[in-house]
Amino acid sequence: MNDRLTLRGVHKTYNGRSVPTPALRGVDLDIEAGTFTCVIGPSGHGKSTLLHLLGGLDRPSSGEVHVFGEDLANMSDLQLARFRARRVGFVFQFFNLLKGLEVAENVAIPMMLAGLSPREQRARAEELLEAVGLSEKAHARPSELSGGQMQRVAIARALANDPDALLLDEPTGNLDSASEAEILGILDGLHSAGRTIVMVTHSQDIARRAERVVEVRDGLIA
Amino acid sequence: MNDLRLVLRNLFGSRSRFALTLTGITVGITALVVMMSLGGGLRAQIERQATDLGANLIVTPKGWCAYEQVKVLSGDRLPDAILPADVEAIEAIDGVAVLPYLTVGSAIGNEPVAVTGIRVADTIAAKRWSVAEGTAPSDGESGVLAGAAAAETFGLTVGDEVVLRGEPFEVLGVIEPTGTGDDGVLFAPLDVAQRVYETDGRVSFLSVSVADITEVDLYAQRITDAANVAVISDRQLLASVLSVVDTVGTTLTVIAAVAVLTAAFGIINTMLMATLERRREIGILKSLGSSNGRVFRVFMLEAAAYGVLGGIVGLLVGTAASHVITPLIAENEFTAFVGGARVAAVPPVADMVTILFGAVLVSVLSGVYPAWRAARLAPVEAISYE
Repeated sequence: MNDRLTLRGVHKTYNGRSVPTPALRGVDLDIEAGTFTCVIGPSGHGKSTLLHLLGGLDRPSSGEVHVFGEDLANMSDLQLARFRARRVGFVFQFFNLLKGLEVAENVAIPMMLAGLSPREQRARAEELLEAVGLSEKAHARPSELSGGQMQRVAIARALANDPDALLLDEPTGNLDSASEAEILGILDGLHSAGRTIVMVTHSQDIARRAERVVEVRDGLIA
Repeated sequence: MNDLRLVLRNLFGSRSRFALTLTGITVGITALVVMMSLGGGLRAQIERQATDLGANLIVTPKGWCAYEQVKVLSGDRLPDAILPADVEAIEAIDGVAVLPYLTVGSAIGNEPVAVTGIRVADTIAAKRWSVAEGTAPSDGESGVLAGAAAAETFGLTVGDEVVLRGEPFEVLGVIEPTGTGDDGVLFAPLDVAQRVYETDGRVSFLSVSVADITEVDLYAQRITDAANVAVISDRQLLASVLSVVDTVGTTLTVIAAVAVLTAAFGIINTMLMATLERRREIGILKSLGSSNGRVFRVFMLEAAAYGVLGGIVGLLVGTAASHVITPLIAENEFTAFVGGARVAAVPPVADMVTILFGAVLVSVLSGVYPAWRAARLAPVEAISYE
């Protein structure tokens, strides 16, 4: 139980302005720790929702979510925030770096949220930027970087607090093929080092690199 | 990284809005400082003026109100209502020294100027004036003694001519600045003023010094027995006038407080805009593990920054502005009711601290609602926002 990510009978319905929209309609899923899983499926069929629930960014409407032994469905906002800060790292399609902050500062945000001292933040940010090959860009602004570089910074940021799992939502959806290859190389490295990786993607090519492919269709695991 | 870095980055992220909002609160605080120093300056000036009267009792016509009593201290025009017979009767009382004043007005060019008829030599002695240039006019002479501010305002020097009621008067002397309302007045010999202004020997008010200050109530009784007039002590006068001044001061402060309140809504508006604009960023911060409380805190710090910066800048600008604006207000026809307060009083340090504290409090309160809105934003909703 402590070494996996589990969804049991998970429903998620968004209460929009007019009609409630079901995004997930009874999903059961087990992902082993340390595996590389790709979630594929058409747009708007619930892939991102699945990822958000696994990362404690949202709660299910019903059903159970257990991630590394933690019962996410029944956590308070504060408990979920702490869970996100320490146990998982998110990477999004549009990088979501904070403009106006230096690259190293962006990487340091989760460490700040986890209560690390500025000195520890700097040291760890340097280490992480070196790991993604961007040491020389530590003091650049996100706007001075290419898309591939921004996504490498986002990965460094996601790894800031050494999370158990990396959750990626179309991380290469906005990148050229060279940058895509770089990102996938980094992810392969992280996976070999034992990190759990769950990645939402459209691309069959990318999905082939994963140990396991989960297809989401109409809010259900196909 | 720390919260403060994030706050600064947020503030400077949209520079023009930051500048405009900060200007709003700065203007409010500036207005508050100017109004408070104006009120304070007026009060200090009135107190100085009352001391400067050098009298223990003021004799006025019956039925004067506090508004007219202010004018005793400011040198503005008052009705001539004390009869010559009453003046004589009061002067006949043992142990009193009487100085009659006839306050009239004139204009030089289109500017109004206060003119007061006095017994020149007695008044100079009682008020301890020193004549800076020229000499004082003698009784019966068509000449004026100019207060320092009046001389400066109208560019008068010894030998110049001013026209009062169609009659030419020579400027014979200029008084050293006294720091009181007397500085803005032209003084003419009483008998000449009475003739030119056709008052039939009447005067506006009398200041009376008594030989034995411990018996001041007794003298007041004797005066009202001898003549059909009202008598108040200088202390009563001061208290009565200060109550008017304080009302004016409070009114001014309330007006300025409205400016601060308006600025508070500027902060609320800016912060609400920021929560909308930064929806996505709030979502990112939450996805990275930021708690609602943390988001709330960052927004509150941002709002407080407006109070701290606006408060400090407002205090500085306000103090500087009050030195520039106060004389202008005192000289403007429409605002001259505040009298001759030509010198601003810098608010005491305690008031400054209160203002700064108030500015921070107002901005923090302004931040509560926007910060609460930002904090309760659902992370997924925020992230999906394009």
